[in-house]
Amino acid sequence: MQQRLGRSIARAKFINTTLLGRKRPVMERVIDITDSDLGEDIQPLMKELETDTTAARHETLQSILDIFDACENEEEPTLTKDFHKMYLNFAIETPLPPQMTALDASQPWMLYWIANSLKVMGQDWLADDVKRKIVDKLFAISPSGGPFGGGVGQLSHLASTYAGINALALCDNIDSCWDRIDRKSIYKWLLSLKEPNGGFKTCLEVGEVDTRGVYCVLSIASLLNILTDELSEGVLKYLQNCQNYEGGFGSCPQVDEAHGGYTFCATASLAILRSANQVDIERLLEWCSVRQLQEERGFCGRSNKLVDGCYSFWVGGSAAILESLGYSQCFSKHALREYILYCCQAEGQPGLRDKPGKHSDFYHTNYCLLGLAITESSYTCAPNDPPHKIKCIPNSQVESSELTDINPVYGLPIESIERFIDHFESSPYS
Amino acid sequence: MQEYDYSDITPLPIQTGLQDELCQIMYTDEYKQLMGLARAMLSANELSPRALQLTSRIIDVAPAFYTMWNYRFNIIRHNVAGCDDAVSYLNKELDWLDEVTLNNPKNYQIWSYRQSLLKLHPSPSFKRELPVLKLMIDDDSKNYHVWSYRKWCCLFFSDFQHELAYTNDLIDADIYNNSAWTHRMFYWTNAKRVASEVELADELQFVLDKIQLVPQNISSWTYLRGFQELAHDAGQWNDKLVQFATSFIGNVFSLPVNSPQDLPEIESSYALEFLAHRWSVDSSTRENAIRAYNLLATKYDPIRKNLWQHKLKNLN
Repeated sequence: MQQRLGRSIARAKFINTTLLGRKRPVMERVIDITDSDLGEDIQPLMKELETDTTAARHETLQSILDIFDACENEEEPTLTKDFHKMYLNFAIETPLPPQMTALDASQPWMLYWIANSLKVMGQDWLADDVKRKIVDKLFAISPSGGPFGGGVGQLSHLASTYAGINALALCDNIDSCWDRIDRKSIYKWLLSLKEPNGGFKTCLEVGEVDTRGVYCVLSIASLLNILTDELSEGVLKYLQNCQNYEGGFGSCPQVDEAHGGYTFCATASLAILRSANQVDIERLLEWCSVRQLQEERGFCGRSNKLVDGCYSFWVGGSAAILESLGYSQCFSKHALREYILYCCQAEGQPGLRDKPGKHSDFYHTNYCLLGLAITESSYTCAPNDPPHKIKCIPNSQVESSELTDINPVYGLPIESIERFIDHFESSPYS
Repeated sequence: MQEYDYSDITPLPIQTGLQDELCQIMYTDEYKQLMGLARAMLSANELSPRALQLTSRIIDVAPAFYTMWNYRFNIIRHNVAGCDDAVSYLNKELDWLDEVTLNNPKNYQIWSYRQSLLKLHPSPSFKRELPVLKLMIDDDSKNYHVWSYRKWCCLFFSDFQHELAYTNDLIDADIYNNSAWTHRMFYWTNAKRVASEVELADELQFVLDKIQLVPQNISSWTYLRGFQELAHDAGQWNDKLVQFATSFIGNVFSLPVNSPQDLPEIESSYALEFLAHRWSVDSSTRENAIRAYNLLATKYDPIRKNLWQHKLKNLN
């Protein structure tokens, strides 16, 4: 490990002086270093053209290697849980400033990200009064009990309903809130979003149709025990057509570029449909594995794009789902864990972030934490069990951050899902 | 812009009114007023010009507010139905949309709205779409929504004539642009049912040239493998490609198996991966495949060790 780190830094220094210092006209210089007088320990860099892609990567890489370099002889950092809790509690205790109006149409998302981050860090960190506030807010957005929109007076939306249901699942049926969910209306509405090609619109009239929508529908419906054949008809075909030659999945069935977010949506959907064996798994494993970057140690979301902490879950979660289904565990959990702990936390800045130089936010806090949980466990599922029965086995090889066991298909604590699904299993929808 | 009078409308609340609301946003008064008006008009289903203008103002300050996009579409659809010149009316709307698009490169809603407008348009034109798409890609050459929308347009208009040249330009500007490479595969997959032998050979040469220029590029190697499959190459390219890929791995195969530190650098780990994949499908080259995967695991792509071990397991 130490040795590899040393080498990477030597290499990065080389990149820094050779590439970053120069003004770069697009494309020209093939860097051939065989004739340059580099020290013995510096390995030749491959032939490379300077483009926007390499410039952006080198800049990111430099800031990351600076961090690894500075920590080389120190103890591995730990997850500063109490510090991140402060960040989340601040959002709970204080109204959000006007700049957050950008999230006006995504209010259920904030509830899910914050509540989930707390519960993933501490099983009992989501206090009952906060649960009540979550419930109050969601049922103020939709007094009839769903589907949910982004806020008061907004149209029902798949992403808002997905986030709203997840947030409610975290509330442990406080004050019998789960019985207030109107499954019949949600089911009818989900059906009304269905498109002839097997996808779903995110909302009625003008709404995107993509793999994200498919995942939202399948997650909502399987949690609420309203996933019928009628609803899932044509979905598998849609997903199959979203896997492209790269091995990952794109947003629409038209050779869209493979992308970490859409690949997660497709993989989790396939797990819910119990049809993962209906796509090219070998190539999907290859694609997930190649998202992990040697020097950065974290995942990028697409080929030749930058590392980002949120893909710790989107790609790491896809890989964990495949692992639970009995396929090979295809990436280095150890390296990803290092990326999250070293690079997604910043001294003096609570919450987790995309990469060094970025500010933390609720979105990255949640998905970095879920990703971290994945790196400290392995996942299995009995052959005939549905994906909410996925089991999480702590990895005794690594220092544990003592996070709550999570289910990679739903991005929620295992215990919350089990209780939520049990509740609705005992009252089948008719 | 024309000033409309909204004084007859009583704004509806946009907040829950709950005490201690969780994650309550401290809206500005202006935002509350604007959004409250829109809510009131939406609930009355007012489809007037002043309602249309209000949606412009809201989209300007809150472009991700999907409810307004839907409302706006209903207004436009209603007005098109009663309009003598639907073409000009919709073109004017597209002009407005171009402006919003350029100001909001990361927005999700714009693209499905554009699609809905084109579907409504009596004589939609791909040519009209091209300049704004080009500007967007000039600004961010990997903008996912723009590429996905461009593909949708090609399929909607059944028009692929600009695509190959366009990806040429983008790959020339940035050979690592995976979006451009993917778009190229989209072209070959959809533009023609059967491409001629000459075209296929030319395309193969194109990608080989790009790999020659930059051997360590995942986009071009993945494309090469995908294109070979798409072309249903039954083996006539194989020898050539194996020879080609071998030129990027130096002499690692003729060296004695030593500790990884003694191995030389190679020009492309993706070349080695490509070879390993080829060799693994044929039992006569199985030993080579094993050697290649071991080299990847120990030296040339060690972060992916788990995958290489999985490949080795498959070979045993």
